[in-house]
Amino acid sequence: MYQNTHEPNPEPDLSKTYDAVIVGSGAAGGMAAHVLTAHGLKVLLLEAGKKLNIEKDLKSMQWPYDHPRRGEMPPDDHALTLNEYTIRPRPYANGMRYRHVFSYVQGWSNSDYSKNIVVDEKDNPYTGTSYAWVRARLLGGKTAIWGRLALRLSDYDFKAASRDGYGENWPLAYKDLEPYYDRVDTYLGISGIKEGLPQLPDSLFQRPNKFTASELMFRQSLEKMGRLITPYRAGVTTDGLKHNKYRSKCFGRGACTRRVGGCDIHAAFDSPTGLIYPAMDTGNLTLRTNATVYEITVDKHSGKASGVSFIDTETGKTYQAKAKAVILGASTLESARLMLLSKSPQHPNGIGNSSNHVGHNFCEHLMGPSVLGIVKDLVGKPHTLDDGRPGGFYLPRFRNIAEKNPNFLRGYGFEGEGGMGIFPGHALQTPGFGKQFKKTVRDYAGAFIHMGGFGEVLPRYDNYVEIDPNIKDRWGVPVLRFHITFGENEKNMAQDMANQAQQMFENAGIQVIGVDRKLLTPGWSIHELGTARMGADPKKSVLNQFQQSHDVKNLFVVDGSSHVNASCQNPTWTIMALAWRSCDYLADQLRKGEV
Amino acid sequence: MDDEVLNNTRTTDRGGRVSGPSEDAATSCALRRRDLFKITAGAAVAVQLGSAAVVQPKFFTPEEYAVVDELSEIIIPADEKSGGARAARVVDYIDKKLAEAFEQEERDAFRAGLKVFVETPAAEREAVLARASKNEKHPKTADDKFFRLLKEHTIRGYYTSKIGIHDDLEYKGNVYQQGDYAGYLPTKA
Repeated sequence: MYQNTHEPNPEPDLSKTYDAVIVGSGAAGGMAAHVLTAHGLKVLLLEAGKKLNIEKDLKSMQWPYDHPRRGEMPPDDHALTLNEYTIRPRPYANGMRYRHVFSYVQGWSNSDYSKNIVVDEKDNPYTGTSYAWVRARLLGGKTAIWGRLALRLSDYDFKAASRDGYGENWPLAYKDLEPYYDRVDTYLGISGIKEGLPQLPDSLFQRPNKFTASELMFRQSLEKMGRLITPYRAGVTTDGLKHNKYRSKCFGRGACTRRVGGCDIHAAFDSPTGLIYPAMDTGNLTLRTNATVYEITVDKHSGKASGVSFIDTETGKTYQAKAKAVILGASTLESARLMLLSKSPQHPNGIGNSSNHVGHNFCEHLMGPSVLGIVKDLVGKPHTLDDGRPGGFYLPRFRNIAEKNPNFLRGYGFEGEGGMGIFPGHALQTPGFGKQFKKTVRDYAGAFIHMGGFGEVLPRYDNYVEIDPNIKDRWGVPVLRFHITFGENEKNMAQDMANQAQQMFENAGIQVIGVDRKLLTPGWSIHELGTARMGADPKKSVLNQFQQSHDVKNLFVVDGSSHVNASCQNPTWTIMALAWRSCDYLADQLRKGEV
Repeated sequence: MDDEVLNNTRTTDRGGRVSGPSEDAATSCALRRRDLFKITAGAAVAVQLGSAAVVQPKFFTPEEYAVVDELSEIIIPADEKSGGARAARVVDYIDKKLAEAFEQEERDAFRAGLKVFVETPAAEREAVLARASKNEKHPKTADDKFFRLLKEHTIRGYYTSKIGIHDDLEYKGNVYQQGDYAGYLPTKA
């Protein structure tokens, strides 16, 4: 495996004006860096976190018994629990004695491998309504540990308002984005099989991951209902990428499913090896880490963006960077925060916020409804290799496609998996002890199948974030205050999700042993979207179809904040396709001198 | 805004970044336990609790250590398929976990629950455990609660051990799959 030497530059030349400065190095910022540098533009990429020696952190193949705490993070570190998100006052880490407090994902097993990736809640507080906000500050952002499900959206999403009358259409259609989805597929690699569904367009797939025996049986049963599960469409290169020397093909080791996430051979897409190192190889990219941007600066005469101010997270020193265009890819919530923080006489509500829509129309995917069952035929059977893959299956949306559901708008999909994992979680629920207990655990280890839903949360103006007037983060930057709750549509949808999940399992002859019906805390899906939406009307939207600010022509917001609705399909692939399209447009505009 | 940021930064006295214990310490600890594993696993003498003399418990008294070792083996015993909790050194896992626990309360609760078993003659311990296990779904007494605690620790320790993963469950994953991936592709309807 190629060892990279792409070290950040701690003292980049800030006397010059870059063609573009990008804030954030995750899927969005990384893609912007790739596209703009490929166009020959000189780009400065600022990342708030540091560059980890990530392979050393991830140690994907380490066995539990070779780790001093069987993979668990140190005992004086704490992960917030579901209950704590509900009952604790905000900021959540206030008054906690632990050395570090993390979001809920660090409560999963093998959390020691991701403890340097997710942020410490003590340093990064927020306030307002209950919200499980998962953040990663490091080179690559959340792509270091993302769930890898790489789905396309369709006109059922882009033109949803035309179909059901709710909300706004996107200012573009599937045909506009399709060529860019194709480019993302080809450049980064994606695995799956073609299904020909209009609501979930196929990608240009590399070889698929496979089903386990129980999943294959489930698929066959679903056919009778006119539904299907498809092998997990993973943003993982299964055949390898000839044009990328930093990434190996996937060997089905399965580390990404045993842990919070991460892939130390980078078969799973991550922004540094997939986008940023190749961009650095062009000679056009300057990377500065530990650079927390706290303001977009404004040219007093033109009202356009002149660059950004950032603070070194370790020294506390502040710097200014100048650029012809400013591109935000700091994440849905951080990009909105930054726009709202950037107040000036020209932009008194925050930059790009003449519409008062920045921070609003905050949407995401609801989670909670799920089902667990046992496939009786597999009890006591010899164990097989079931978890050597980036994910199990995806069950695409089937609601409000052909029919109109009387109880809710839009739809949901399920992620799930059947078969055996490395740790028999069912042992904790198996009664008794002794030889019989031990045999039962063994006999049932490969027989479980599970799936959980992701449902579209409707965008509403009154779900929003704003700047908290009192609380600041460790670096003195004012934090976000949340105002987000689920409405009737979400609650009705969740009921249907649980009912359908149970029904589909029962129809397949799976013995259902648990159905969860409750909604989890907002934020749980880590799919926050929509706080600076695109639109044709500058009064009701923040960005145009190229993610360009209606108000400030040289300001682009290329992350999930631009999404007009959440769809029910995972957003990362769409974030990257949109960013590619917008940066092509920006490069063209810069060439013409029109930005 | 600029001034505000600067002022706040100057007044913050929090230094350092997120970091865990040093890797060296972690590695050497794992090595020590693997060495120990080689000494004890598979050797019939391990049953004599000779290991108690070899291992210096970090938290348990020697007497407690011996009793936890025995109880864990009752919960997950050796059978025709694989070694049990004793061979997997579950007692060492629990001892270390409690020694490092963030809350003193965790140590105190375990020790308090264990007391009954230390004071019970060896021949009767399994019967006490059996009684406590009757209510494991809805534990009421201190013994019931201790059983749940001990069982959970034993499960976590055993099924993350070499014996639990490889010998007992015959887990097939965490390998480089060369060629085709394991599993099935759907046949198109």
